[in-house]
Amino acid sequence: MNVETTPGASEGKPETVDGQRAPVDVSVVVPVVRADSRLREVVEALGEQLKGRGQSYEFILVFDGVAGAAWTEAEELVAEDPGRIRRIRFQQAFGESACLAKALEIVNAEVVVTSPAYLQIEAEDVGLLLDTIEEGYDLVAPVRHPRIDAFLNRVQSWAFNLVMRRVLGAPMHDLNCCFRAVRREVLEDVTLYGDVYRFLPSIVHRTGYRVKEVRVRHRAEFGGVGLFGVGVYVRRFIDLVGVAFLSRFTMRPLRFFGAVGGALALIGGVVTTGLVVQRLIIPDMALYQRPLFLLGLLLFVLGVQVIGFGLVGEIIIYTQARNLREYKVEKIYE
Amino acid sequence: MPVFDEAGNLPQLHEELLDVLERAEGGFELLYVDDGSRDQSRNVLRTLRKGDRRVRIICLRHQSGQTAALAAGFEQARGEILVPLDGDLQNDPADIPMLVGRLDDGYDLVAGWRKDRRDAWLVRRIPSIIANRLISRFTGVSVHDTGCTLKAFRRSLMQDRALYGEQHRYLPALFAGTGARVTELVVHHRPRRHGKSKYGIGRTLRVLLDMLTVTMISSFSQRPLRYFAFLAFPFFAASLLVGVTAPQELMGGGAEFALDTLAVLAFMLPFMACAYFLLLGLLAELVVKASDVHRSGALNVSVGGDA
Repeated sequence: MNVETTPGASEGKPETVDGQRAPVDVSVVVPVVRADSRLREVVEALGEQLKGRGQSYEFILVFDGVAGAAWTEAEELVAEDPGRIRRIRFQQAFGESACLAKALEIVNAEVVVTSPAYLQIEAEDVGLLLDTIEEGYDLVAPVRHPRIDAFLNRVQSWAFNLVMRRVLGAPMHDLNCCFRAVRREVLEDVTLYGDVYRFLPSIVHRTGYRVKEVRVRHRAEFGGVGLFGVGVYVRRFIDLVGVAFLSRFTMRPLRFFGAVGGALALIGGVVTTGLVVQRLIIPDMALYQRPLFLLGLLLFVLGVQVIGFGLVGEIIIYTQARNLREYKVEKIYE
Repeated sequence: MPVFDEAGNLPQLHEELLDVLERAEGGFELLYVDDGSRDQSRNVLRTLRKGDRRVRIICLRHQSGQTAALAAGFEQARGEILVPLDGDLQNDPADIPMLVGRLDDGYDLVAGWRKDRRDAWLVRRIPSIIANRLISRFTGVSVHDTGCTLKAFRRSLMQDRALYGEQHRYLPALFAGTGARVTELVVHHRPRRHGKSKYGIGRTLRVLLDMLTVTMISSFSQRPLRYFAFLAFPFFAASLLVGVTAPQELMGGGAEFALDTLAVLAFMLPFMACAYFLLLGLLAELVVKASDVHRSGALNVSVGGDA
């Protein structure tokens, strides 16, 4: 990955100890994916809130292959407040998950707030998120309410979240709002890739962490997010299948392959046996005249094969289990 | 001992355990694993620990499941003999000395057998009976009740085996697969008093799938190709059967075209299934070979009694 950390990000203010940055209370990570982002708005509004709460903070702006106006704006911001604002730039777009993963390497705080590059919710609500983290939750996800965008968008978003709740098995209601607060150690425990950034609350919830949703006030949608094209949906869906599979079945692949393959084999078996029985009852109904018989056979063989794949999956997990530990020891009282 | 949201049961359990273990010979430690509990479990545990160096508490960062909690406990344990126990009082600590005593008779693992179970018939007992029959059948380990958490076994069995998924239920079969001597003893089983049962009905159907895995891992993990060949055999037989009974149709010289087509398919489909299985088996061999599971001595071939 081609990463360029700009000089402005590493020189900074004299708040460094032995060449290292002093820890702060909150790191705000902003993946910048579009050149016409409103970084100043975000930095100023959130900065004011955090200052008001008496918490020290830093902004990490990650440019996902974006240059142009946003980069210039960031340069100005860094010049105004060099210690607090840091930049990372990817030479090409790697997506928000990669942005967050890279930012995580230089984060100086225990609590990370992720924000889109415009003010999606009222800035005051960042306090709400952080308060909830202080209550002991590991990740706080926002639910925008009331929504102020177009009706069609709301329907689309509602349906999306409904499907996601089913597929990912986590009770999240607004995955499209990526304004979240999360503990750093939780992020370090999650492999950030592909679409994981969007599904972060669901994945973290499934891992066993404490996730809470809070209502926030919706402020604005930016740049007219209309209906997506078919391509977007297809790609999303494929990513989703991967994420859902890994989050639910990593340690027990046969549960997934077995369910799918078992169902196929069962249908095939029932169809085939049914036809054989029918043939025995009505002798002049020859099996070779029944295309359905073939269908049954094919389904059965397919189902059996799917189960076979699951077994190979189990072997892989068995051999790698030591690297895929399912638990993290927090503390041992001797 | 894994603990999850069992605050109500803990004090009583702790007392019973201390009572039993103090009377028994030999030193012991009590290792509680707090699986990210959200109730008062952790505080209760800390109160219990006060001033008692034999009690250790492992707190997991997030809720990780029973197998993971047990794995965490096994990893931290210092004793030569490990006795996992449910935190819900359904096992009777008084059985522990008996189980441990049986180990001295030259066994590596003594499983508890809840002969007189106090659970709902339909949801828990029947599936469990079927599952245990299947396990005995396939793995050759005749244990009536692998699902019973209460067991005693030598720590050397764990070696650096990693427990995952739902393997805690199948420990006897898994260990037997690596050469351990396994036996069982009848233990007491008590109905739940505090807290809710943490099992659902859904697990009933999963047991069969788990069975496939356990059989494979316990008996064939060194040579998966054999397992896959075993699975491929029926399909090979079916294919052969068609080939022998209808050679003429296969060559396209049958009475009717449709019949020929069906014959070709009936021959080819099982043959393909058979071929796929063998190919998957080869893949599995590659995976096992590329990993180091069998390099670090995961086999307990010569685990002796007091060696």
